[in-house]
Amino acid sequence: MQLIYVVRRFGVFLLIVWLAATLNFFLPKLSGQDPVRTKLLEEASLGGYVHAGIEDMVKVYQKKFGLDKPLWRQYLNYVADVAHGNLNYSIANYPRTVAGMIRDAMPWTIGLLGLTTVFSFVAGTILGALLAWPGAPRWMRWLMPPLWALHAIPFFLLGLVLMYLFAFQFQFLPIFGGYSAGASPGLTWTFVLDVLRHAVLPALSIVLVSVGGWALAMRGMMVTTMGEDYVTFAEAKGLRSATIFTRYCIRNAILPQTTGLALALGQILSGAVLVEVVFGYPGIGALLFQAIEENDFFLIQGIVFTVIVALGFATFLLDILYPWLDPRISYRRG
Amino acid sequence: MAGRTTRAHAGRRDVIKGGMAVAAAAMLPAGVARAELANIPRDQTMILIGINSRDGRWVDYELWNPYAIGANHQNGPNLIYEPLAYYSAFADKMYMWLAESYQYTPDFRQLTIKTRQGIKWSDGTPFSAEDVAYTFNTLRDLGPKVKWGVDVNQALDEATVTDPNTVVLKFKIPSPRFFFFASYKYDIGIYMVPKHIFQGQDWASFKHYDLAKGWPVTTGPWKVVESSLQQKVFDRRDTWWAADQKLAPMPRIMRNIWLPMVGEQESAQAQITNRSDFGGPLQPATFPTVIRQNPKVTTWSGRKPPWGYVDWWPLSLYVNNEVKPFDDPDVRWALSHYVDRKQIIEVAYLGAETVSRLPMPPYKPLLPYFDVVKDLLVKYNTIEFNPKKGDALLQAKGFKKKGGTWEMPDGKPFTLGIIGFGLSGSAMGPVLSQMLKRHGVTASLSLPPDFDSRFQKGDFTGSIYGHGGSIREPYDTLRLYQSQSIAVPGAHAVNFSRWKNPAYDKIVDEVYITDPDNVAKLKTLFRAAMEIWLPALPDIQLVQNYHRIPLNLTRWKNWATEENPIVNNASWHLTYNLVLWNVQSAKA
Repeated sequence: MQLIYVVRRFGVFLLIVWLAATLNFFLPKLSGQDPVRTKLLEEASLGGYVHAGIEDMVKVYQKKFGLDKPLWRQYLNYVADVAHGNLNYSIANYPRTVAGMIRDAMPWTIGLLGLTTVFSFVAGTILGALLAWPGAPRWMRWLMPPLWALHAIPFFLLGLVLMYLFAFQFQFLPIFGGYSAGASPGLTWTFVLDVLRHAVLPALSIVLVSVGGWALAMRGMMVTTMGEDYVTFAEAKGLRSATIFTRYCIRNAILPQTTGLALALGQILSGAVLVEVVFGYPGIGALLFQAIEENDFFLIQGIVFTVIVALGFATFLLDILYPWLDPRISYRRG
Repeated sequence: MAGRTTRAHAGRRDVIKGGMAVAAAAMLPAGVARAELANIPRDQTMILIGINSRDGRWVDYELWNPYAIGANHQNGPNLIYEPLAYYSAFADKMYMWLAESYQYTPDFRQLTIKTRQGIKWSDGTPFSAEDVAYTFNTLRDLGPKVKWGVDVNQALDEATVTDPNTVVLKFKIPSPRFFFFASYKYDIGIYMVPKHIFQGQDWASFKHYDLAKGWPVTTGPWKVVESSLQQKVFDRRDTWWAADQKLAPMPRIMRNIWLPMVGEQESAQAQITNRSDFGGPLQPATFPTVIRQNPKVTTWSGRKPPWGYVDWWPLSLYVNNEVKPFDDPDVRWALSHYVDRKQIIEVAYLGAETVSRLPMPPYKPLLPYFDVVKDLLVKYNTIEFNPKKGDALLQAKGFKKKGGTWEMPDGKPFTLGIIGFGLSGSAMGPVLSQMLKRHGVTASLSLPPDFDSRFQKGDFTGSIYGHGGSIREPYDTLRLYQSQSIAVPGAHAVNFSRWKNPAYDKIVDEVYITDPDNVAKLKTLFRAAMEIWLPALPDIQLVQNYHRIPLNLTRWKNWATEENPIVNNASWHLTYNLVLWNVQSAKA
């Protein structure tokens, strides 16, 4: 691997992060809303009573959050903070820090979406490959129409149906939450099983919807690959069907899927927003939803920035790894 | 060649293995390991769904100092910080609590509070007058930096401890309502904090949360044993001063678990399947389903509409009195005559509602004030649906109806953009705007995310909102319409309707300095104020606000209800402890 290639790609990564962070700063400001005022008024009018001096409070906290300064100054402060890894305080939940809130939500989202993304990828890729393969059992073809139909349904909608059936009607599984009321969080089998039980419905709603997409893409690539000369040559050589299927077809057809997987893994940090909201799952998606509801600039910026960095890093990593995974791709320009 | 191929294969495997290891490590839950909770059976546990949690999480799980800016007493601190006194508007009763008694000087410029003896914080430090004086003086000093700071700063000169159980408050101005203000009722009241812990801390950012240290400390019957995004768990303390002093029964509930609200559907399902004992509020349309599917679910009003009780927050259609043509009382009255409140109740609330005649709830202590303006309410009928009267009022002002739509005297359409929020906005807003359209007003509805900000700043023409005013005597409602005050220098007017009347302001100032127990004088003053207010009608009265909370009788009984009206049973209000002490096991 050439060092100059890595440096160049890293430079592109930094440029993407900076551009996205800049957009991330200015876009929420376009709404023209004042999150400090909104938050303080919401708090002040709890239950309907507005306590005195709210305008004074707004001024005090606008100063505290630096929102009384000109926009360009706020931007420079933001860039400097981000460069130092400081994502600031949440405006709506002061004195909670944005980093702390993201840290709370991150394991839930990575656990749920990381596993479901990888599982969907593996299941969908194998299914797609088998569907294109003439030697696959005939019954498998019946699987595709329902999977494609499910693929067209939004995650959250399927989630609501699953919740109604399995949590409400049959009461097999919990309705909402990350673990049971009264459970002691800790690295014990009881707690881990409880967490997994709570993850079943949100995970199922994501997997059932996603598998069809992966399978569809893989099937298309397999059909193309199976028409390649080297596959015909392998068949002519008399290689075993299983060898041609795994070593010649899947291995070559899976490369675009790998790109898709890397990007999907980068995106999991933004969560499956509505699935998390529907199931009351304490992940990043629901946190972002809440930040937008509260117009909490710093929290929105913190989450989106984390997602941007994750996506940028996933792309960067892919750029570095791709030539390794597929030796036909060169590190050299052109 | 072969060697190069072999190295390349080994590298890819290494990368894949490494990647999998990193992914597995990242998925491990971080920082969740805490002390194991004691095992308490489900039938000794109460599971509650809170209202202010957002999208299934308690974002404020670390914030147990209710003065911290992001904290909210509705989410658990209301169980932890006991007040000087509780007040129940439903029972019309004051329960002296940390304070044993209080006494004003005749000019209401000084208040002496006697605190009870034998009260200790949960870390063993005695509670005393020092805590009370420290709380008040710090609020005065912090002013706009924390909640209630400005309210205290306007009135308080100095709080001085004269002995371990006596604190004397000297006021800058006569403050006959200060003790009542500091007492807990609905969402209003001063949280008494432990001086030995809060001193030296920045109240706006101090969290008061460290389970290892026993924080938050409390004088109450509950201790926080677990707090996370997913749940707030309170276990009963073995000793509680109020039970020892026979002031209250020891709660039967051994463990309180507060779950975050996810949504209406999830909350209803949890009630139907007995997974929660006390629900978050539900909409009227949801109750028939819940009641039908679970015979153990009841409400304040039993298993029948209106499924709840009247909150202190009657709803109005506010119009901005500074914006033409709504600066004209006749235009406001015309709008009032176009509103068919019965239809709103039938369509928006499925009949589970009642109308509101004045901007305060018809609570028992307030009924004498309704009575004193009974004749005025006949003359100025604030709930009269009479479109013909409305038409006549507009025509007399030069409005013209063309093609069924009103035009103002300058030829422009008579438009009213209404903003709203929450259930009142989404349930009633569409019905109201359609009703006004039917009578020729070009009305529209929106539910903007920055509703509070726009409403407070006066950036609206019409708005659906309530009145956080009186519950015991009329001052708090009257002050909602005061544009300026001489009696309270530096006072901040609420005045959402932006109506101004100097004669009215003067009467309200007189009410302010009147003893709240002098009902006779207050009635006279209230009538005088209403003689100005009713013809002007600054906002258009609509309906009462109801709290509709499902109560599950499977494990717990003796909830606060219509038949047992200890206090309103909102879990988010500061008086919720009164409800919890009285709840009994369904097995008993």
